[in-house]
Amino acid sequence: MTAVIAATNLSKWYGNVLGLNDVSLEIESGITGLLGPNGAGKSTFMKLITGQLKPNIGTVAVRGRKVWNNPALFAGIGFCPEHDVFYEDMTGFEFITGLLRFYGYSASDIKERAVRALDIVELTKDKDRLIRGYSRGMRQRVKFAQAIAHDPEIVILDEPLSGLDPLGKRKLIKLIKDFKSEGRTVLVSSHVLPEIEALTSRIVLLHQGKILAQGDIPYIRELIEAHPHMISVRSSDPRALAARFVGDPAIQKMTFGADGRTLVVETHSRDAFFGRLTGAVLEGGVEVEEISSPDDNLQAVFEYLVGK
Amino acid sequence: MNARKSIGEIFGFFFFLGRRTGKTRVFALLGLIPVALAVVVRIVLHGRSGDIAAVFTEILMVFFLQFYIVILSLFYGTSVVAEEIEGRTLSYLITRPLPKPAIVLGKYAAYALLMFLMVAVSLTPSYFIMNAARLAEPSLYLTFLGYLGVLGLGILAYTAFFTFLGAVLKRGILVGLVFGFGWENVIQYFPGSTQKFSIVHYLKSLLPYRPAGGGGGRLALLLFKLEPTAPAVAVLMLAVIAGVLLALACWFFRTKEYLYEE
Repeated sequence: MTAVIAATNLSKWYGNVLGLNDVSLEIESGITGLLGPNGAGKSTFMKLITGQLKPNIGTVAVRGRKVWNNPALFAGIGFCPEHDVFYEDMTGFEFITGLLRFYGYSASDIKERAVRALDIVELTKDKDRLIRGYSRGMRQRVKFAQAIAHDPEIVILDEPLSGLDPLGKRKLIKLIKDFKSEGRTVLVSSHVLPEIEALTSRIVLLHQGKILAQGDIPYIRELIEAHPHMISVRSSDPRALAARFVGDPAIQKMTFGADGRTLVVETHSRDAFFGRLTGAVLEGGVEVEEISSPDDNLQAVFEYLVGK
Repeated sequence: MNARKSIGEIFGFFFFLGRRTGKTRVFALLGLIPVALAVVVRIVLHGRSGDIAAVFTEILMVFFLQFYIVILSLFYGTSVVAEEIEGRTLSYLITRPLPKPAIVLGKYAAYALLMFLMVAVSLTPSYFIMNAARLAEPSLYLTFLGYLGVLGLGILAYTAFFTFLGAVLKRGILVGLVFGFGWENVIQYFPGSTQKFSIVHYLKSLLPYRPAGGGGGRLALLLFKLEPTAPAVAVLMLAVIAGVLLALACWFFRTKEYLYEE
């Protein structure tokens, strides 16, 4: 598949501060999460792919076309900036219609698109209020609306969930997912792991301007050889189950859960362990009620990778 | 979208927005000062048309030419680029299918028209109140249009200069302040060609104003020493100043990266 967004050896620095360091990345359609702590380079990367910054080294292209000073490209890109900033003296409707004017639509088309975008983000009722009077959630939603109002093929969302209450977050996550289901490319950044996890399993981990890892969460987990997989097996007799694995070279460590019904296994070879577990179940004498991977989530992966 | 349409759309957006801002309200109120002054002068100097005309000329020179259009242009011109950086709203503009120079030109045009309207709204009543006794004279209206035209040219030239400063410098308004109320006020009194390095020189060259009494007194040289440029040349110079500085502002805006302060 051809990459929608392609960065090659991309570096950007601000004076002596390195913002992005030799990043090569290809982003395809669907939702991709850009994850990293504050200062990791997420916003720098997003500004580079939206032509707000010029790379010091390397190239960035959208659909194979260079980004910097290429305004035609932006007819198909929607960008939702990180900062909570607006033309505050406008109403939500004026803000959206005002920005839609820059795409060359007819007046009726502008109105129709603005109404639709505001309806999507559930701001129809408040569309004629000044933005300065909007709540934080409404401001985030109107910011999202301006990014999608022109029906772009690519949407770039810089920390769109920041500052929202749980209900607001859930609504916006649904909107983003709905938008993606129409076959578009969405790149969304966050420093909050569960937010990204709720949106996508395809992630790019950034730290100190470099890509730590990319891919889906299980794939990234596979990359972390220095850290064993943690597998929790709930069984009616965890001690009997543990006895089956004593001396098994695939197992690094076994502990019992506080509930007395769980065996927690650490292994470098998850496949080998699951093979043996299946064998043990088939041989009989062991009942398995539930298998889970407590560290097979983004938080664990991220902490491993940044060496916490 | 082509460049012309882009400029038009940006113009519409910022002309609309500009009318809403608190800054416009403050400056529009400032424009009421000469109107109030005109009423007072009209009452105090009732029947002394020569004195009234002289006072109006002073208001035109001191308030409009050397203060009002300069301060308006300074605040609106530098804000063409700077307010987008300081307000971090630049992202909304440069991630649209708009050529970057269209952003500068459209916003410049919107603000220039806004300022011109503020000046017109201030100048018109003050001029006609003070010249109420001469309303039947056709020359009154021609002179008024001439004044308005000069102030309009001043707005175009000053705003272009301050737009350029705002595009190039982080704190363009400070340099603009020194230029507008320092350099412009001092250099115009220098004899010879030095005064031609100011915008106000060309604006004054277009006005019929001359110092009362034709000089005399030891301070006359310092107070006014205009060696006027021919009107056609003055207009051309103002157009060149505005055109070149706007072109430079557009070039800087297109090539420069603007970073928000964290």
